[in-house]
Amino acid sequence: MPIFKTPFNGYSVKFSPFYESRLAVGTAQNFGILGNGRLHVLDLSPTSPAITELIAFDTADGVYDVAWSESHDSVLVAAIADGSVKLYDTSLPPQSNPLRSLQEHAREVHGLDYNPTRRDSFLSASWDDSVKLWTLDRPTSIRTFREHAYCVYSVAWNPKHADVFASASGDCSVRIWDVREPGSTMIIPGHQHEILACDWNKYDDCLIATASVDKSIKVWDVRNYRVPVTVLNGHGYAVRKIKFSPHRRNLIVSCSYDMTVCLWDFMIEDALVGRYDHHTEFAVGVDMSVLVEGLMASTGWDEHVYVWQQGMDPRAA
Amino acid sequence: MASNSQQAATGSPPKPWEQSGTSTGPTPFKPPSPGSTSDVVEASGTAKPGEIVSTNDMNTVVNRNSLGRPVPTRPWEQQNYGSTYGGYGSGLNYNSGFGSGMYGSSYGGGLYGNSMYRGGYGGLYGNSGLYGGGMYNGGGMYNGGFGGPMGGYGMGGTGPYGEQDPNNPFGAPSSPPGFWISLLRVMQGVVNFFGRISILIDQNTQALHMFMSALLQLFDRTGLLYGELARFVLRLLGIKTKPRKVNQMGPDGLPLPGPENRRGNQNYIEGPKAAPSGAAWDNVWGGENNSS
Repeated sequence: MPIFKTPFNGYSVKFSPFYESRLAVGTAQNFGILGNGRLHVLDLSPTSPAITELIAFDTADGVYDVAWSESHDSVLVAAIADGSVKLYDTSLPPQSNPLRSLQEHAREVHGLDYNPTRRDSFLSASWDDSVKLWTLDRPTSIRTFREHAYCVYSVAWNPKHADVFASASGDCSVRIWDVREPGSTMIIPGHQHEILACDWNKYDDCLIATASVDKSIKVWDVRNYRVPVTVLNGHGYAVRKIKFSPHRRNLIVSCSYDMTVCLWDFMIEDALVGRYDHHTEFAVGVDMSVLVEGLMASTGWDEHVYVWQQGMDPRAA
Repeated sequence: MASNSQQAATGSPPKPWEQSGTSTGPTPFKPPSPGSTSDVVEASGTAKPGEIVSTNDMNTVVNRNSLGRPVPTRPWEQQNYGSTYGGYGSGLNYNSGFGSGMYGSSYGGGLYGNSMYRGGYGGLYGNSGLYGGGMYNGGGMYNGGFGGPMGGYGMGGTGPYGEQDPNNPFGAPSSPPGFWISLLRVMQGVVNFFGRISILIDQNTQALHMFMSALLQLFDRTGLLYGELARFVLRLLGIKTKPRKVNQMGPDGLPLPGPENRRGNQNYIEGPKAAPSGAAWDNVWGGENNSS
């Protein structure tokens, strides 16, 4: 399956919700510690196993996360390490990009999520311990959610409830928020170590999965969050990103600092149903296509982007 | 892909989970509100004042705090010109130096000048702000020696380079310096200069002296350390200087092995007594000793 080589270290990969063959990749120079970044928009060719670069945008700082707009097929949002959130339009030449640079976070922006149901707003999670809510029609953020005691690494909208989202933070807790409420509606002290990612189950709006530095993935039911529904062990190092399958209820994909991408079925006994060790460095970005069932993409610090069909070897050409 | 571009108006294609239409029963979430996100947030009243504003948030620094809402101005954020003017030589002046009232306090000389500690009128004039006392008399090294005479002269003017502080509320500006005053000022400059030179030389000499003595002391100690170390190493190797004398007292000039070695001094004292055991040692070494 196709492989794409990026000049910088990969940080995030996302499939377009409009085109089944398009994906965006955020990269950062020098492992994201210092240096420039680049946002790639890639196209899979339908016939040959190859990836072509549609367009690329250079940034002055590393790109830690990307999110496609759900309302415009060519717009995407990038989380930049200088604390800004930048909007890009792939239909415009690089000179007229970024469309907008939203500079409000005091530190690195580490996570983005575009509202999939209302499709007019997105969230940004930053190392300045806050989450901000933005809409495309306003030049400033609508709200700031400031309760976490440490960096917020990831945010995820609930797929059914347009006003509910979750945030995963380095203060070892996950908070559930409602944009209509002044404060968080739920606090899940999920792990003993930092929580790096969270995601909602797409078919059960009460299930949320968290990935932590303690190498484990936990699935929680928000109606009873005292104990996790299940704990998935198997990664050798911190789990960096986690994603529920858009097509199958029980399927989770995760990537970790142990350089593997893992597939889990959290309802069965042997939850680990697949392990891909194609990356030669930390695997930090993973996504599953909404439009094509079983199509997965991953990127990592080995400067490669892999796109493959579930069950196949990502390295097979 | 051109056919897909029409979807841009309405949004992305429906998600697979939306088509399935599964329901999982009661949820702890409030039902979704209709309308756009910004309308919903504004209708709920959770949008904070100052956050839905058209100006760039970067500029509204005042309201950016951990509370997320504007708070009353802190006492130290207020610039109270009245108190800094009136508070000459008082504690108030000093306190204002910590806050952002720097502007005000510099008028009274609280931040830069030494007038507060001098007290009195002459003090303020003699050390008007940064240029007067601050530069030459501020450092602890020179303060005692040279700052004093200057004050003693009671010059009504300002520091060596200083101008009269235009904002000084105390009295009218002093009259321009006369000939003697300027002569005294030149002399003071000369004295200051040579004073600083001499102190530099003195300090250098002292530093060199201390360095050399420290070096000598170090060598001295190193010798001691070396001796101690050598003794320790020798002891580790089982070589002893004093006990060896004891062993040499043993029979046949052989060192005494085993537990008796630990009682070195006793052996020394009882040295002569050890001699009878020589026969036993002959057995240890077998017939060799006998034959020899």
